[in-house]
Amino acid sequence: RMMPVRWSRYNPSYLEPEVKKESYQKSLEELTEEEREQMELKAVRPIKAAPPTLSSSVFSDPMICKFTNMMMKSGNKVLARNLMSQTLEAIKRKQLEKYHKAPENEKETIECNPYVIFHQALNNCQPIIGLSSITKGGKTYQVPVPLTDNRKRFLAMKWLITECRENKHRRMMMPEKLSQELLLAFNNEGPVIKRKHVLHKMAEANRAYAHFRWW
Amino acid sequence: QLDRGCALHTAVRDGLSSVSSQDVPAERPRAVFHTSESDPAKHTEQHEGRLYNIPLEEVKAVFPHGLPHRFQQQIQTFNEARVMVRKPALELLTYLKGSNLAHPAVRYVIYGERGTGKTMTLCHVVHYCSRQGWLVLHIPDAHLWVKNCKELMQSSYNKDRLDQPLQASVWLKNFKTSNERFLQEIKTQKKYMWGKRESTEEGRPLREVVEQGLARVRSASDAVGVVLRELKQQSHRGSFRLLVAVDGVNALWGQTSLRKEDKSPVSPEELTLVHNLRKMVMNDWSGGAIVTTLSQTGSLFKPSSAYTPQELLGKEGFDALDPFVPIPVPNYSPREFESCYGYYLERKWLQHERGQ
Repeated sequence: RMMPVRWSRYNPSYLEPEVKKESYQKSLEELTEEEREQMELKAVRPIKAAPPTLSSSVFSDPMICKFTNMMMKSGNKVLARNLMSQTLEAIKRKQLEKYHKAPENEKETIECNPYVIFHQALNNCQPIIGLSSITKGGKTYQVPVPLTDNRKRFLAMKWLITECRENKHRRMMMPEKLSQELLLAFNNEGPVIKRKHVLHKMAEANRAYAHFRWW
Repeated sequence: QLDRGCALHTAVRDGLSSVSSQDVPAERPRAVFHTSESDPAKHTEQHEGRLYNIPLEEVKAVFPHGLPHRFQQQIQTFNEARVMVRKPALELLTYLKGSNLAHPAVRYVIYGERGTGKTMTLCHVVHYCSRQGWLVLHIPDAHLWVKNCKELMQSSYNKDRLDQPLQASVWLKNFKTSNERFLQEIKTQKKYMWGKRESTEEGRPLREVVEQGLARVRSASDAVGVVLRELKQQSHRGSFRLLVAVDGVNALWGQTSLRKEDKSPVSPEELTLVHNLRKMVMNDWSGGAIVTTLSQTGSLFKPSSAYTPQELLGKEGFDALDPFVPIPVPNYSPREFESCYGYYLERKWLQHERGQ
Protein backbone atom coordinates (compact mmCIF):
# COMPACT_ATOMS: atom_id res chain seq x y z
CA ARG A 1 0.00 0.00 0.00
CA MET A 2 1.40 3.43 -0.88
CA MET A 3 2.02 5.77 2.09
CA PRO A 4 1.76 9.50 1.31
CA VAL A 5 5.27 10.84 1.87
CA ARG A 6 5.57 14.15 0.02
CA TRP A 7 2.17 14.77 -1.54
CA SER A 8 -1.06 14.06 0.30
CA ARG A 9 -3.58 11.59 -1.04
CA TYR A 10 -6.54 13.72 0.04
CA ASN A 11 -9.09 15.03 -2.45
CA PRO A 12 -8.48 18.79 -2.92
CA SER A 13 -11.96 19.54 -1.59
CA TYR A 14 -10.86 18.50 1.96
CA LEU A 15 -10.21 21.44 4.33
CA GLU A 16 -7.72 21.73 7.22
CA PRO A 17 -9.08 21.16 10.77
CA GLU A 18 -9.42 24.23 13.03
CA VAL A 19 -7.72 23.66 16.39
CA LYS A 20 -7.76 26.99 18.28
CA LYS A 21 -10.46 27.16 20.94
CA GLU A 22 -10.92 30.93 20.62
CA SER A 23 -12.24 30.74 17.08
CA TYR A 24 -15.17 28.60 18.23
CA GLN A 25 -16.09 30.87 21.10
CA LYS A 26 -16.83 33.90 18.88
CA SER A 27 -20.51 34.57 18.27
CA LEU A 28 -21.97 35.23 14.83
CA GLU A 29 -21.97 39.06 14.94
CA GLU A 30 -18.22 39.34 15.62
CA LEU A 31 -17.22 37.58 12.42
CA THR A 32 -16.35 39.45 9.26
CA GLU A 33 -17.76 38.61 5.81
CA GLU A 34 -14.91 36.29 4.85
CA GLU A 35 -15.10 34.38 8.10
CA ARG A 36 -18.82 33.86 7.65
CA GLU A 37 -18.22 32.48 4.20
CA GLN A 38 -15.50 30.26 5.61
CA MET A 39 -17.88 28.86 8.22
CA GLU A 40 -20.53 28.09 5.61
CA LEU A 41 -17.93 26.35 3.47
CA LYS A 42 -16.92 24.24 6.45
CA ALA A 43 -20.46 23.11 7.00
CA VAL A 44 -20.53 21.66 3.48
CA ARG A 45 -17.02 20.38 2.71
CA PRO A 46 -15.34 17.35 4.36
CA ILE A 47 -12.36 17.99 6.74
CA LYS A 48 -9.01 16.17 6.91
CA ALA A 49 -8.16 14.10 9.98
CA ALA A 50 -6.08 15.98 12.53
CA PRO A 51 -2.52 14.59 12.88
CA PRO A 52 -1.49 13.47 16.40
CA THR A 53 1.13 16.23 16.71
CA LEU A 54 -1.46 18.99 16.26
CA SER A 55 -2.61 19.99 19.78
CA SER A 56 -5.06 22.64 20.95
CA SER A 57 -3.08 23.37 24.14
CA VAL A 58 -2.13 26.98 24.84
CA PHE A 59 1.43 25.89 25.52
CA SER A 60 2.13 24.31 22.15
CA ASP A 61 4.28 26.13 19.64
CA PRO A 62 4.78 25.06 16.00
CA MET A 63 8.49 25.99 15.99
CA ILE A 64 9.18 23.99 19.14
CA CYS A 65 7.35 21.02 17.59
CA LYS A 66 9.44 21.26 14.43
CA PHE A 67 12.63 21.45 16.45
CA THR A 68 11.65 18.42 18.55
CA ASN A 69 10.89 16.45 15.40
CA MET A 70 14.32 17.29 14.02
CA MET A 71 16.00 16.23 17.28
CA MET A 72 14.12 12.93 17.30
CA LYS A 73 16.12 9.79 16.50
CA SER A 74 14.52 6.56 15.24
CA GLY A 75 11.04 7.69 16.14
CA ASN A 76 11.66 8.23 19.87
CA LYS A 77 9.38 11.25 20.27
CA VAL A 78 9.09 10.76 24.06
CA LEU A 79 12.82 11.20 24.53
CA ALA A 80 13.00 14.18 22.14
CA ARG A 81 10.13 15.95 23.88
CA ASN A 82 11.66 15.34 27.32
CA LEU A 83 15.01 16.70 26.14
CA MET A 84 13.28 19.78 24.76
CA SER A 85 11.40 20.48 27.99
CA GLN A 86 14.59 19.95 30.00
CA THR A 87 16.39 22.41 27.70
CA LEU A 88 13.72 25.07 28.18
CA GLU A 89 13.84 24.49 31.93
CA ALA A 90 17.64 24.76 31.94
CA ILE A 91 17.49 28.07 30.04
CA LYS A 92 14.88 29.39 32.48
CA ARG A 93 16.97 28.35 35.49
CA LYS A 94 20.17 29.96 34.19
CA GLN A 95 18.40 33.21 33.33
CA LEU A 96 16.53 33.31 36.66
CA GLU A 97 19.78 32.78 38.57
CA LYS A 98 21.32 35.73 36.77
CA TYR A 99 18.16 37.75 37.27
CA HIS A 100 18.00 37.22 41.04
CA LYS A 101 21.68 37.96 41.55
CA ALA A 102 21.71 41.11 39.40
CA PRO A 103 21.32 44.61 40.91
CA GLU A 104 18.01 46.43 40.47
CA ASN A 105 18.82 48.52 37.39
CA GLU A 106 19.95 45.53 35.32
CA LYS A 107 16.95 43.38 36.14
CA GLU A 108 14.83 44.64 33.25
CA THR A 109 17.45 43.88 30.62
CA ILE A 110 17.67 40.19 31.50
CA GLU A 111 15.19 38.13 29.46
CA CYS A 112 13.80 35.14 31.38
CA ASN A 113 11.15 33.67 29.10
CA PRO A 114 12.66 30.58 27.42
CA TYR A 115 10.25 30.72 24.44
CA VAL A 116 11.27 34.31 23.64
CA ILE A 117 14.95 33.32 23.88
CA PHE A 118 14.38 30.30 21.64
CA HIS A 119 12.62 32.32 18.94
CA GLN A 120 15.15 35.15 19.06
CA ALA A 121 18.09 32.73 18.90
CA LEU A 122 16.58 30.98 15.87
CA ASN A 123 16.03 34.33 14.16
CA ASN A 124 19.63 35.32 14.80
CA CYS A 125 20.88 32.05 13.32
CA GLN A 126 18.92 32.21 10.09
CA PRO A 127 21.12 32.99 7.06
CA ILE A 128 19.85 35.63 4.62
CA ILE A 129 21.43 34.22 1.49
CA GLY A 130 22.50 30.69 0.63
CA LEU A 131 24.72 28.90 -1.86
CA SER A 132 23.57 26.37 -4.43
CA SER A 133 25.74 24.33 -6.81
CA ILE A 134 24.95 25.03 -10.48
CA THR A 135 26.73 23.09 -13.28
CA LYS A 136 27.53 25.21 -16.35
CA GLY A 137 29.89 24.21 -19.11
CA GLY A 138 31.20 21.15 -17.28
CA LYS A 139 32.19 23.00 -14.07
CA THR A 140 30.13 23.32 -10.87
CA TYR A 141 29.94 26.80 -9.37
CA GLN A 142 28.70 27.79 -5.89
CA VAL A 143 26.12 30.43 -6.76
CA PRO A 144 24.61 32.79 -4.15
CA VAL A 145 20.86 32.35 -4.14
CA PRO A 146 17.97 33.78 -2.05
CA LEU A 147 16.42 31.31 0.39
CA THR A 148 12.79 30.75 1.27
CA ASP A 149 11.62 31.18 4.88
CA ASN A 150 11.18 27.47 5.35
CA ARG A 151 14.70 26.76 4.12
CA LYS A 152 16.18 29.44 6.43
CA ARG A 153 14.40 27.99 9.47
CA PHE A 154 15.46 24.48 8.52
CA LEU A 155 19.11 25.49 8.13
CA ALA A 156 19.15 27.33 11.47
CA MET A 157 17.68 24.36 13.35
CA LYS A 158 19.96 21.89 11.53
CA TRP A 159 23.09 23.86 12.39
CA LEU A 160 22.08 24.13 16.06
CA ILE A 161 21.45 20.40 16.37
CA THR A 162 24.63 19.30 14.56
CA GLU A 163 26.66 21.76 16.64
CA CYS A 164 25.26 20.32 19.87
CA ARG A 165 25.74 16.73 18.78
CA GLU A 166 29.36 17.04 17.66
CA ASN A 167 31.27 19.74 19.50
CA LYS A 168 30.72 18.79 23.09
CA HIS A 169 32.44 17.03 25.95
CA ARG A 170 31.67 13.33 26.03
CA ARG A 171 29.74 13.42 29.31
CA MET A 172 27.80 16.65 28.77
CA MET A 173 24.05 16.21 28.45
CA MET A 174 22.13 17.46 25.40
CA PRO A 175 19.81 19.88 27.29
CA GLU A 176 22.83 21.54 28.96
CA LYS A 177 24.69 21.99 25.69
CA LEU A 178 21.58 23.13 23.81
CA SER A 179 20.73 25.71 26.46
CA GLN A 180 24.30 27.03 26.29
CA GLU A 181 24.14 27.31 22.49
CA LEU A 182 20.73 28.98 22.54
CA LEU A 183 21.87 31.58 25.07
CA LEU A 184 24.99 32.32 23.00
CA ALA A 185 22.92 32.62 19.82
CA PHE A 186 20.52 34.95 21.63
CA ASN A 187 23.44 37.29 22.28
CA ASN A 188 24.77 36.92 18.72
CA GLU A 189 27.85 34.98 19.78
CA GLY A 190 28.82 31.35 19.52
CA PRO A 191 29.76 28.82 16.81
CA VAL A 192 26.38 28.76 15.01
CA ILE A 193 26.42 32.51 14.36
CA LYS A 194 30.00 32.11 13.12
CA ARG A 195 28.88 29.49 10.65
CA LYS A 196 26.17 31.81 9.39
CA HIS A 197 28.75 34.60 8.91
CA VAL A 198 31.08 32.21 7.06
CA LEU A 199 28.23 31.34 4.67
CA HIS A 200 27.51 35.04 4.10
CA LYS A 201 31.19 35.71 3.33
CA MET A 202 31.33 32.83 0.84
CA ALA A 203 28.22 34.19 -0.86
CA GLU A 204 29.80 37.68 -0.98
CA ALA A 205 33.02 36.20 -2.41
CA ASN A 206 31.16 34.34 -5.15
CA ARG A 207 29.12 37.41 -6.07
CA ALA A 208 30.40 37.29 -9.63
CA TYR A 209 28.54 34.06 -10.37
CA ALA A 210 25.18 35.48 -9.25
CA HIS A 211 24.00 35.89 -12.84
CA PHE A 212 24.17 32.11 -13.36
CA ARG A 213 20.90 31.89 -11.49
CA TRP A 214 17.92 31.62 -13.81
CA TRP A 215 15.04 31.61 -11.33
CA GLN B 1 2.21 10.12 28.53
CA LEU B 2 4.72 12.29 26.75
CA ASP B 3 5.58 14.61 29.61
CA ARG B 4 7.27 12.42 32.20
CA GLY B 5 10.17 14.84 32.72
CA CYS B 6 8.19 17.64 34.29
CA ALA B 7 8.87 21.25 33.46
CA LEU B 8 6.96 22.58 36.47
CA HIS B 9 7.81 21.58 40.02
CA THR B 10 6.08 18.24 40.76
CA ALA B 11 3.89 19.46 43.58
CA VAL B 12 2.40 22.23 41.46
CA ARG B 13 1.56 19.74 38.75
CA ASP B 14 -0.20 17.52 41.28
CA GLY B 15 -2.01 20.47 42.78
CA LEU B 16 -3.10 21.74 39.37
CA SER B 17 -5.23 18.69 38.81
CA SER B 18 -7.04 19.17 42.13
CA VAL B 19 -7.89 22.88 41.68
CA SER B 20 -9.83 24.24 38.73
CA SER B 21 -8.70 27.54 37.20
CA GLN B 22 -8.78 30.23 39.84
CA ASP B 23 -8.02 33.85 39.21
CA VAL B 24 -5.19 35.06 41.42
CA PRO B 25 -5.60 38.84 41.82
CA ALA B 26 -2.59 40.72 40.55
CA GLU B 27 -1.85 42.76 43.65
CA ARG B 28 -1.51 40.06 46.27
CA PRO B 29 0.65 41.48 49.05
CA ARG B 30 3.79 39.49 49.77
CA ALA B 31 2.87 38.93 53.40
CA VAL B 32 0.04 36.55 52.57
CA PHE B 33 2.24 33.62 51.67
CA HIS B 34 5.50 34.48 53.35
CA THR B 35 6.39 34.52 57.04
CA SER B 36 9.28 36.30 58.57
CA GLU B 37 9.32 33.62 61.27
CA SER B 38 12.45 31.69 60.48
CA ASP B 39 12.51 29.69 63.71
CA PRO B 40 10.54 26.45 63.34
CA ALA B 41 9.93 26.36 67.11
CA LYS B 42 7.54 29.29 66.79
CA HIS B 43 5.51 27.91 63.87
CA THR B 44 1.85 27.42 64.80
CA GLU B 45 -1.34 26.74 62.90
CA GLN B 46 -1.72 30.31 61.80
CA HIS B 47 1.51 29.92 59.83
CA GLU B 48 0.09 26.98 57.93
CA GLY B 49 0.38 27.31 54.17
CA ARG B 50 3.08 29.97 54.37
CA LEU B 51 6.68 29.79 53.28
CA TYR B 52 9.52 30.60 55.66
CA ASN B 53 13.04 31.48 54.76
CA ILE B 54 16.19 29.64 55.85
CA PRO B 55 19.40 31.69 55.53
CA LEU B 56 21.81 30.11 53.06
CA GLU B 57 24.69 29.59 55.54
CA GLU B 58 22.37 27.67 57.81
CA VAL B 59 21.30 25.52 54.88
CA LYS B 60 24.91 24.55 54.21
CA ALA B 61 25.56 23.81 57.89
CA VAL B 62 22.39 21.90 58.74
CA PHE B 63 21.66 20.10 55.46
CA PRO B 64 24.92 19.06 53.82
CA HIS B 65 23.16 16.06 52.33
CA GLY B 66 19.51 15.99 53.31
CA LEU B 67 17.55 18.02 50.76
CA PRO B 68 15.92 16.53 47.67
CA HIS B 69 17.70 17.26 44.39
CA ARG B 70 14.97 19.44 42.87
CA PHE B 71 14.83 21.61 45.98
CA GLN B 72 18.58 22.16 45.83
CA GLN B 73 18.22 23.28 42.20
CA GLN B 74 15.42 25.61 43.27
CA ILE B 75 17.60 27.13 46.01
CA GLN B 76 20.32 27.78 43.46
CA THR B 77 17.92 29.36 40.96
CA PHE B 78 16.02 31.60 43.34
CA ASN B 79 19.01 32.35 45.55
CA GLU B 80 17.00 31.62 48.70
CA ALA B 81 15.59 28.56 50.49
CA ARG B 82 11.87 28.75 51.26
CA VAL B 83 10.10 25.84 52.93
CA MET B 84 6.34 25.62 53.26
CA VAL B 85 4.85 25.07 56.73
CA ARG B 86 2.35 22.24 56.45
CA LYS B 87 0.04 20.36 58.78
CA PRO B 88 1.96 17.05 59.09
CA ALA B 89 5.12 18.94 60.01
CA LEU B 90 3.30 21.00 62.63
CA GLU B 91 1.81 17.81 64.06
CA LEU B 92 5.25 16.23 64.36
CA LEU B 93 6.67 19.35 65.97
CA THR B 94 3.95 19.38 68.65
CA TYR B 95 4.66 15.73 69.40
CA LEU B 96 8.37 16.40 69.68
CA LYS B 97 7.85 19.40 71.93
CA GLY B 98 5.65 17.40 74.26
CA SER B 99 7.70 14.21 74.29
CA ASN B 100 9.20 12.97 77.54
CA LEU B 101 12.86 12.23 77.05
CA ALA B 102 13.13 9.73 79.92
CA HIS B 103 10.87 7.33 78.05
CA PRO B 104 12.15 5.09 75.23
CA ALA B 105 12.41 6.84 71.88
CA VAL B 106 9.13 7.17 69.98
CA ARG B 107 9.15 6.23 66.29
CA TYR B 108 7.34 8.37 63.73
CA VAL B 109 6.81 7.10 60.20
CA ILE B 110 5.95 9.67 57.54
CA TYR B 111 4.18 8.10 54.58
CA GLY B 112 2.23 9.30 51.59
CA GLU B 113 2.03 9.10 47.83
CA ARG B 114 4.85 10.02 45.51
CA GLY B 115 5.72 13.69 45.40
CA THR B 116 3.63 14.90 48.32
CA GLY B 117 6.47 16.31 50.44
CA LYS B 118 7.62 13.62 52.86
CA THR B 119 11.31 14.45 52.53
CA MET B 120 10.58 18.16 52.94
CA THR B 121 8.62 17.44 56.14
CA LEU B 122 11.60 15.50 57.42
CA CYS B 123 13.91 18.40 56.59
CA HIS B 124 11.60 20.83 58.41
CA VAL B 125 11.80 18.64 61.52
CA VAL B 126 15.58 18.31 61.20
CA HIS B 127 15.91 22.09 60.98
CA TYR B 128 13.79 22.51 64.10
CA CYS B 129 15.87 20.00 66.05
CA SER B 130 19.17 21.49 65.00
CA ARG B 131 17.90 24.93 66.06
CA GLN B 132 16.95 23.46 69.43
CA GLY B 133 20.42 22.01 69.84
CA TRP B 134 19.73 18.31 69.34
CA LEU B 135 22.31 16.01 67.81
CA VAL B 136 20.92 15.13 64.40
CA LEU B 137 21.76 11.79 62.81
CA HIS B 138 20.42 12.37 59.30
CA ILE B 139 20.66 9.61 56.73
CA PRO B 140 19.60 11.20 53.43
CA ASP B 141 18.46 8.09 51.62
CA ALA B 142 18.87 4.56 52.90
CA HIS B 143 18.26 3.30 49.37
CA LEU B 144 21.66 4.64 48.33
CA TRP B 145 23.25 2.14 50.70
CA VAL B 146 21.52 -0.92 49.24
CA LYS B 147 22.00 -0.33 45.56
CA ASN B 148 24.66 0.68 43.01
CA CYS B 149 27.63 -0.03 45.25
CA LYS B 150 30.89 -0.24 43.28
CA GLU B 151 33.08 -1.61 46.08
CA LEU B 152 31.96 -4.29 48.49
CA MET B 153 34.60 -5.59 50.87
CA GLN B 154 34.43 -8.31 53.44
CA SER B 155 34.24 -6.81 56.89
CA SER B 156 37.28 -7.31 59.13
CA TYR B 157 35.19 -7.14 62.30
CA ASN B 158 32.72 -9.86 61.43
CA LYS B 159 33.45 -12.45 58.75
CA ASP B 160 29.88 -12.79 57.45
CA ARG B 161 29.20 -9.14 56.77
CA LEU B 162 30.11 -6.89 53.86
CA ASP B 163 31.46 -3.35 54.07
CA GLN B 164 30.75 -0.33 51.90
CA PRO B 165 33.68 2.09 52.21
CA LEU B 166 32.47 4.70 49.67
CA GLN B 167 29.01 5.34 51.05
CA ALA B 168 30.26 5.23 54.64
CA SER B 169 32.99 7.81 54.04
CA VAL B 170 30.62 10.15 52.20
CA TRP B 171 28.15 9.97 55.09
CA LEU B 172 30.87 10.52 57.70
CA LYS B 173 32.05 13.65 55.90
CA ASN B 174 28.55 15.13 55.87
CA PHE B 175 27.93 14.10 59.48
CA LYS B 176 31.06 15.97 60.47
CA THR B 177 29.92 19.25 58.86
CA SER B 178 26.50 19.15 60.48
CA ASN B 179 27.44 18.27 64.05
CA GLU B 180 30.85 19.84 64.69
CA ARG B 181 30.53 20.82 68.34
CA PHE B 182 28.96 17.57 69.56
CA LEU B 183 31.85 15.54 68.21
CA GLN B 184 34.19 17.47 70.44
CA GLU B 185 32.15 16.98 73.60
CA ILE B 186 31.17 13.32 73.43
CA LYS B 187 33.84 10.88 74.60
CA THR B 188 34.21 7.20 73.72
CA GLN B 189 33.62 4.67 76.46
CA LYS B 190 35.59 1.72 75.17
CA LYS B 191 38.84 1.06 73.42
CA TYR B 192 38.43 0.33 69.69
CA MET B 193 41.02 -1.45 67.54
CA TRP B 194 41.25 -0.56 63.85
CA GLY B 195 43.38 -3.38 62.49
CA LYS B 196 46.66 -4.41 64.13
CA ARG B 197 48.37 -1.09 64.80
CA GLU B 198 45.82 1.67 65.10
CA SER B 199 43.44 2.04 68.00
CA THR B 200 41.36 4.69 69.70
CA GLU B 201 41.72 4.89 73.48
CA GLU B 202 38.92 5.24 75.97
CA GLY B 203 37.85 8.79 76.69
CA ARG B 204 38.92 10.33 73.38
CA PRO B 205 36.44 12.68 71.63
CA LEU B 206 34.23 11.11 68.94
CA ARG B 207 35.83 13.43 66.42
CA GLU B 208 38.88 11.18 66.33
CA VAL B 209 36.74 8.17 65.43
CA VAL B 210 35.20 10.10 62.56
CA GLU B 211 38.58 11.29 61.35
CA GLN B 212 39.93 7.76 61.58
CA GLY B 213 37.04 6.60 59.39
CA LEU B 214 37.73 9.34 56.85
CA ALA B 215 41.47 8.73 56.77
CA ARG B 216 41.32 4.94 56.59
CA VAL B 217 38.54 4.34 54.10
CA ARG B 218 38.73 0.58 54.59
CA SER B 219 37.42 0.87 58.15
CA ALA B 220 34.86 3.62 57.42
CA SER B 221 31.82 1.37 57.90
CA ASP B 222 33.18 0.16 61.22
CA ALA B 223 33.71 3.79 62.25
CA VAL B 224 30.05 4.47 61.43
CA GLY B 225 29.06 1.48 63.57
CA VAL B 226 31.16 2.78 66.47
CA VAL B 227 29.63 6.27 66.23
CA LEU B 228 26.09 4.89 66.25
CA ARG B 229 26.80 2.62 69.19
CA GLU B 230 28.38 5.37 71.28
CA LEU B 231 25.53 7.77 70.63
CA LYS B 232 22.97 5.16 71.57
CA GLN B 233 24.68 4.31 74.83
CA GLN B 234 25.23 7.89 75.89
CA SER B 235 21.95 9.46 74.91
CA HIS B 236 20.04 8.38 78.03
CA ARG B 237 22.34 10.44 80.23
CA GLY B 238 20.66 13.62 79.08
CA SER B 239 23.66 15.73 78.15
CA PHE B 240 22.34 15.93 74.60
CA ARG B 241 19.21 14.86 72.78
CA LEU B 242 19.44 12.58 69.78
CA LEU B 243 17.28 12.69 66.68
CA VAL B 244 17.61 9.84 64.22
CA ALA B 245 16.20 10.95 60.87
CA VAL B 246 16.16 8.25 58.20
CA ASP B 247 14.79 8.82 54.73
CA GLY B 248 13.63 5.74 52.85
CA VAL B 249 13.59 3.44 55.86
CA ASN B 250 11.92 0.67 53.84
CA ALA B 251 15.33 0.00 52.28
CA LEU B 252 16.52 -1.56 55.54
CA TRP B 253 14.12 -4.47 55.33
CA GLY B 254 13.61 -5.08 51.63
CA GLN B 255 16.01 -6.69 49.18
CA THR B 256 19.22 -5.26 47.81
CA SER B 257 20.32 -5.14 44.19
CA LEU B 258 23.89 -6.02 45.15
CA ARG B 259 25.55 -9.36 44.49
CA LYS B 260 28.51 -11.11 46.01
CA GLU B 261 31.41 -12.30 43.89
CA ASP B 262 29.78 -15.67 43.39
CA LYS B 263 26.65 -13.93 42.03
CA SER B 264 24.48 -14.81 45.03
CA PRO B 265 22.16 -12.01 46.17
CA VAL B 266 23.04 -10.03 49.28
CA SER B 267 20.37 -9.62 51.92
CA PRO B 268 20.32 -6.37 53.93
CA GLU B 269 21.53 -7.98 57.18
CA GLU B 270 24.83 -8.81 55.58
CA LEU B 271 25.70 -5.15 55.12
CA THR B 272 27.40 -3.56 58.14
CA LEU B 273 25.81 -0.15 57.61
CA VAL B 274 22.30 -1.58 57.41
CA HIS B 275 22.86 -3.85 60.41
CA ASN B 276 24.00 -0.97 62.62
CA LEU B 277 21.22 1.27 61.40
CA ARG B 278 18.62 -1.33 62.27
CA LYS B 279 19.95 -1.43 65.82
CA MET B 280 19.64 2.36 65.93
CA VAL B 281 16.04 2.37 64.81
CA MET B 282 14.99 -0.03 67.59
CA ASN B 283 13.32 1.76 70.46
CA ASP B 284 15.44 0.32 73.25
CA TRP B 285 17.20 3.61 74.01
CA SER B 286 15.86 6.82 75.56
CA GLY B 287 16.62 10.49 75.30
CA GLY B 288 15.48 11.35 71.79
CA ALA B 289 13.21 10.49 68.89
CA ILE B 290 13.30 8.57 65.63
CA VAL B 291 11.65 10.15 62.58
CA THR B 292 11.57 8.08 59.40
CA THR B 293 10.13 8.39 55.92
CA LEU B 294 8.90 5.69 53.60
CA SER B 295 9.88 6.14 50.00
CA GLN B 296 8.69 4.26 46.96
CA THR B 297 10.83 6.09 44.41
CA GLY B 298 14.13 4.53 45.39
CA SER B 299 12.77 1.22 46.61
CA LEU B 300 13.65 -2.04 44.94
CA PHE B 301 11.17 -4.63 43.75
CA LYS B 302 8.09 -2.77 44.96
CA PRO B 303 5.17 -1.68 42.72
CA SER B 304 4.90 2.02 42.04
CA SER B 305 1.40 2.30 43.46
CA ALA B 306 2.48 1.12 46.94
CA TYR B 307 2.64 3.81 49.59
CA THR B 308 1.26 2.44 52.85
CA PRO B 309 3.68 1.25 55.59
CA GLN B 310 2.26 -2.30 55.34
CA GLU B 311 3.13 -2.65 51.66
CA LEU B 312 6.47 -0.90 51.60
CA LEU B 313 8.01 -2.26 54.80
CA GLY B 314 6.95 -5.85 54.32
CA LYS B 315 6.18 -8.15 57.22
CA GLU B 316 9.71 -8.09 58.68
CA GLY B 317 10.02 -4.34 58.65
CA PHE B 318 6.54 -3.74 60.00
CA ASP B 319 7.17 -6.09 62.93
CA ALA B 320 10.52 -4.47 63.64
CA LEU B 321 9.07 -0.96 63.59
CA ASP B 322 5.85 -2.05 65.23
CA PRO B 323 4.79 0.52 67.82
CA PHE B 324 5.13 3.64 65.65
CA VAL B 325 3.15 6.83 65.09
CA PRO B 326 2.06 7.03 61.44
CA ILE B 327 1.90 10.50 59.90
CA PRO B 328 0.20 10.67 56.49
CA VAL B 329 1.21 13.49 54.16
CA PRO B 330 -1.47 14.51 51.65
CA ASN B 331 -1.15 16.54 48.46
CA TYR B 332 -1.31 20.34 48.56
CA SER B 333 -4.63 21.71 49.82
CA PRO B 334 -6.14 24.57 47.73
CA ARG B 335 -4.74 27.13 50.17
CA GLU B 336 -1.23 25.71 50.07
CA PHE B 337 -1.44 25.51 46.29
CA GLU B 338 -2.42 29.19 46.13
CA SER B 339 0.51 30.24 48.25
CA CYS B 340 2.94 28.10 46.25
CA TYR B 341 1.53 29.53 43.01
CA GLY B 342 1.85 33.07 44.32
CA TYR B 343 5.45 32.39 45.33
CA TYR B 344 6.34 31.12 41.87
CA LEU B 345 4.65 34.11 40.23
CA GLU B 346 6.59 36.45 42.44
CA ARG B 347 9.87 34.72 41.72
CA LYS B 348 9.07 34.79 38.00
CA TRP B 349 9.26 31.03 37.68
CA LEU B 350 6.09 30.91 35.53
CA GLN B 351 7.29 32.60 32.36
CA HIS B 352 4.72 31.64 29.70
CA GLU B 353 1.97 34.29 29.43
CA ARG B 354 -0.76 31.69 29.51
CA GLY B 355 0.65 30.11 32.68
CA GLN B 356 -0.08 33.24 34.70
